[in-house]
Amino acid sequence: MSEFKAQLLQYQNFLHQIRDFFYSRGVTEVKTAALLSNPVSDVYIDSICATVNREIGELKSLYLHTSPEIEMKKLLARGSGDIYQICSVYRDNEQGNQNFNEFTMLEYYRLDFDIHKLIDEITELLVKLGWRHNIRRISYNEAFIKYAGIDILQADFDSLKSIAKSHGLSTEFDWIEDLQMLLFIHLIEPQIKNYSACFVYDYPKQQSALAQIDSQVAKRFELYLNGVEIANGYQELQSAKDYRHRFSNELAKRKQLSKSISSIDEQFLLELKEGLPFCSGVAIGIERLFSSIGL
Amino acid sequence: MAKYNTSQFKNGLKLMLGGKPCSIINNEFVKPGKGQAFNRVKFKDLITGKTLEKTFKSGESLEGADVMELEMQYLYSDGSSWYFMDPSSFDQYELGQAAMGTATNYLVEQDNCIVILWNNNPISVTPPNHVILEVVDTDPGLKGDTAGTGGKPATMNTGVVVQVPLFISIGEKVKVDTRTNEYSGRA
Repeated sequence: MSEFKAQLLQYQNFLHQIRDFFYSRGVTEVKTAALLSNPVSDVYIDSICATVNREIGELKSLYLHTSPEIEMKKLLARGSGDIYQICSVYRDNEQGNQNFNEFTMLEYYRLDFDIHKLIDEITELLVKLGWRHNIRRISYNEAFIKYAGIDILQADFDSLKSIAKSHGLSTEFDWIEDLQMLLFIHLIEPQIKNYSACFVYDYPKQQSALAQIDSQVAKRFELYLNGVEIANGYQELQSAKDYRHRFSNELAKRKQLSKSISSIDEQFLLELKEGLPFCSGVAIGIERLFSSIGL
Repeated sequence: MAKYNTSQFKNGLKLMLGGKPCSIINNEFVKPGKGQAFNRVKFKDLITGKTLEKTFKSGESLEGADVMELEMQYLYSDGSSWYFMDPSSFDQYELGQAAMGTATNYLVEQDNCIVILWNNNPISVTPPNHVILEVVDTDPGLKGDTAGTGGKPATMNTGVVVQVPLFISIGEKVKVDTRTNEYSGRA
């Protein structure tokens, strides 16, 4: 058998193991639309726009999904129960060794799971897929205290600016969260590289994205394998009001950076009238996971 | 000097960092799932030779460094300075001990080497990867040992000490890898 054919079979087996994992746990595979009427609202993620139906006089712009999150949350609101999806997602303005305009995402949601229960389950998935190394957990603040002596949850914008300055880094940032990320990438990620697998959890509330906030921290986590970000998960916001608030914030930031902006996805908020059930969800980069497991 | 932004960063690009000329040795694009794009860049300080890491917001720019690498001939040393000549212009350059670094271990008069000029001042020297040096002191070896198993320290005509096979004796010329300070054969 050729090496190429062996690789194809290895990837097939990898996907089969994932599907088998979810099937045995009663998590339903779903398929949602990839062409959406609204672009993503995240400040630093850009949708790819597709113009369709020009020749039949019905010209309109649609957007390739950057993640199936919104569409899957509609299903959760309709009572789907636990669901997962493996699909291609598309993002504009991406480049580099680990970033592409198209990649494969595993997105899944578990009802009545908090982030730690979800982290437990992802750990079991990693083991099923053949991961044989230690898997650590560290909170965002613990990591900063341990590796940089910084209490990141208490540090204000000015004190982070002076820390960045002392490392010879830029201090030209509009928002504290961007400076937190700069210091995380500069001071913490190179240390996390020493752990083969590491979950980082409880992010500063300014980096909540669509995660619930519990006093100072967002119930959010990321998984790093060999220093590469593999997964991003939340204890999900539940009410339409909270989603409207977060979307507005992101759109305001996009406006401040002169990036393209759109209106809020009212259809989604309408579907969330009764709220989302309590759940946690995660997005996992499949190519990155596959190459890390294969190492 | 021209400015370069992160999208133009590539290995070998010479930039000014904190007032010092540096060369990029690794440029990694990092974009957190929910964050803006950054470049984590590894530099070599061209004066001290030390490596350092910086992280930039993608789109930031740095000033280019006026750095040139020229092949020059090593002429002589008076003990405190080392003198080099650019064979195309016959211009001579003087380097002090600090800028010479470990290059003094390997340079023999008339050898060619790479001299880095910053704003037309020499700041460092890279000897050729392999140089031929003469053994001036070493313990007598075992006559029959031609397999080269084991080794012994030998002092070269430049003063540097290199591990050589037992069969090498005083007066012999040997080839030394300047990057690893290892013996790589009889000359």
